[in-house]
Amino acid sequence: MQPSLESPRLSLARRESLWAYAFIAPWTIGFIIFTIGPMLASLFFSFTEYDIVSAPKWIGLRNYINLIHDQLFWHSLGVTFKYAVIALPLGLVVSYMIAVLLNQKISGINIWRTVYFVPSVIAGVAVALLWGRIFDPKFGILNPFLAQFGIKGPGWLSDPQWAVPALVIMSLWSVGGNVIIYLAGLQGVPTDLYDAAKVDGATAWQRFRHVTLPMTTPVIFYNLILGLIGTFQYFTEVYVLTNGSGNPARATLFYNLYLYQNAFKYFHMGYASTMAWVLFIIVLGITLLIFRSSDTWVYYEGQLRGR
Amino acid sequence: MKNNLFKVLALIVLASVILSACAPKPTAAPANTEAPAGTEVSAATEAPAATEALTTEAAAGKVKVVIFVGMGTGTDPDQVDAQNQLAEKFNTSHDNIEIEFLIVPHEEYATRYLAMLSGGNAPQLVGPNGVSTVAEFFDTWEDITPYIEADKLDLSDFYGPAVELNQYPDKNTGLPLGLYPSYLYYNKDLFDAAGLDYPTHDFEDTSWNMDKLRETAMQLTLDNNGKNAIDPDFDPENIVQYGYDDSWDGMRATLADWGAENVGRPTTADYKTAVADSPEWIQGLQWISDGVWKDHFIGNGEVQAAQNSAGVDPFGPGTTAMFYSYTWFLAEGLHDLSFSADIAPYPYNPKGERIARIDADNFTIPKDAQHKQEAWEVMKWLTSPEIIVDVCRIYGCIPARKSVQSRFLEQLKTDYPGLDYDVIFKSIDYLDNPNHEAWIPEWGKIEDALNNGLSLVYSGEEKDATKVLTDTNAEVQQILDQYWAAHP
Repeated sequence: MQPSLESPRLSLARRESLWAYAFIAPWTIGFIIFTIGPMLASLFFSFTEYDIVSAPKWIGLRNYINLIHDQLFWHSLGVTFKYAVIALPLGLVVSYMIAVLLNQKISGINIWRTVYFVPSVIAGVAVALLWGRIFDPKFGILNPFLAQFGIKGPGWLSDPQWAVPALVIMSLWSVGGNVIIYLAGLQGVPTDLYDAAKVDGATAWQRFRHVTLPMTTPVIFYNLILGLIGTFQYFTEVYVLTNGSGNPARATLFYNLYLYQNAFKYFHMGYASTMAWVLFIIVLGITLLIFRSSDTWVYYEGQLRGR
Repeated sequence: MKNNLFKVLALIVLASVILSACAPKPTAAPANTEAPAGTEVSAATEAPAATEALTTEAAAGKVKVVIFVGMGTGTDPDQVDAQNQLAEKFNTSHDNIEIEFLIVPHEEYATRYLAMLSGGNAPQLVGPNGVSTVAEFFDTWEDITPYIEADKLDLSDFYGPAVELNQYPDKNTGLPLGLYPSYLYYNKDLFDAAGLDYPTHDFEDTSWNMDKLRETAMQLTLDNNGKNAIDPDFDPENIVQYGYDDSWDGMRATLADWGAENVGRPTTADYKTAVADSPEWIQGLQWISDGVWKDHFIGNGEVQAAQNSAGVDPFGPGTTAMFYSYTWFLAEGLHDLSFSADIAPYPYNPKGERIARIDADNFTIPKDAQHKQEAWEVMKWLTSPEIIVDVCRIYGCIPARKSVQSRFLEQLKTDYPGLDYDVIFKSIDYLDNPNHEAWIPEWGKIEDALNNGLSLVYSGEEKDATKVLTDTNAEVQQILDQYWAAHP
């Protein structure tokens, strides 16, 4: 007879271990089958020529070599970096500023917090359709608004020079998620620090610069990492707005859109898998760099006290 | 604890890998990786399979033929109802086969079709299929030549060009169902307001050429002061009415009419050399570029984006005098117009030829279909003289059979009164061959490369057609070289 989980023949520690495995098994099995499995499969496919319907053919490193010589690979990487360099810092700064404002003691603050958070719960496709109309030079509301100030608005999504900036503006729509996280961080700053700073004669700016900002760097770091990953995975909005084309004139051919085209339009699933792994390595590399840099600018109160 | 956890995880990973390895391997033919004959790759030709295992039994021992709909038209609610009625009609009149239309959203057609193939669950029949989707999945289709020969099927009733569109050197992809010839839709009210004669309906009138089209279109292009594009005081910043539009098609279609040696194909006949920079294509693209940026009778990318955003076609709002499109636009855009409209032949090109590109639909049988013989029987039924008119009414195409033309004409008169129907039928004779949607290696990738060139022009990023097509041709050549290096 096999011992059950409650069997007295098992030590308490062993029984606890088995129970732990039992409890985490559903997630673990799901993770292995639906995340690790496809990841390993895509790693294998990245060394193959695979068109989805016929068996993969092993071609070694040819996909990786072709990628280096693929101008559209570099172009799409450039578009993604361009977007990330503008959208990521802008999103972090704007959401931080909003969070600071929403951290003030003013009447109706909960309503304001809700107002700023609600847009971020709307799905990407709906947001894209909405902004598609807002940007419309003829029927949209943005250009007539600019015209009030004597500014002739561009063809936001039809002008190659303005397409990425338009998407950056659109990305600000969903800063509400970051705002909530910043707000939690801001409310966790001990008030005694502000009191001490006031006693020392610090101005409002000095209190922000030397108390608020350092104390919230862990939250900024968190949002930076998630934001970085999010910008490199940018896909839904641009797919909807350009009908998957990356136009005008490939100005919005983001990395993931080009990856999608290779996988599901050109049926180069092996090549697309290669792109996915290269993207993974790029994002991992940048993330590690940011983690390494965090020693110099992220302040953990607990760590300091422990030193 | 850590060691145990590692062992458990390792076991689960191993088990999942083994289970994956034991899964049945896909057996379908590769999609779009082989070339038609004339290249070094031969297309497999299987004999009709009359004795295949019947694994998809329908009611009362009937074989179920699942028809995959979604590659092109056929997914609108009205069409779904009509297709169900058609299935009912078939099922009550056949003892051995039952048909069922599987409706797939158009935006999912590629992933769903490929998933069905790779899962060993290929549909028996696919359609209506445009030339483009036939090309997109070229190597997954069965060659129906043996079926035609086995039945000694007489194809003479089909329009010759309709048969040719499905006939590749090594493969016939399907019986013709319908044709969508192209011509100009024009707004009679705008012509009347400008005091201009309507475009000629005389197919022999060679004075109706691209220069005349440009001149007429400029006269019909108006700014918000009512001045036309020929007037020196015309304000191109405030255009309220355009003379001409051909923005619903890609580069291959747009330039197919200009009389290049390879017509709508950007490669030579052996598919190894890119010829997108042919003088005729350059001339055609420059005509468009000038039309947008110099002569202003064609709307730019911004105008097109506004139409897309508003969900309107270029013709319906009544601000475009001439719109170049196909027969399928009858069903899509000729209802509830607030103005009178008619149709006219597309003009002669600068070489003195008339080429009016054409779309066409057929039904195709996947190579991996389990019941190919039954699928063939259904294909014959759908394209038979007795049924083809009903089928084409569902999909908005011109029946590909000559014998039903008069019957279909009566239907057209009822559905779209007041048009010059001769234009529709005569335009078939001027179709583009090689067709603008026909198979080429790396079909989707080259389409995107070419359409990027068109986007450069419409967006104003590059207005010099020679530069655009020289660059595009280099890109297409690179794609071809890569393809042939991998498929020697």
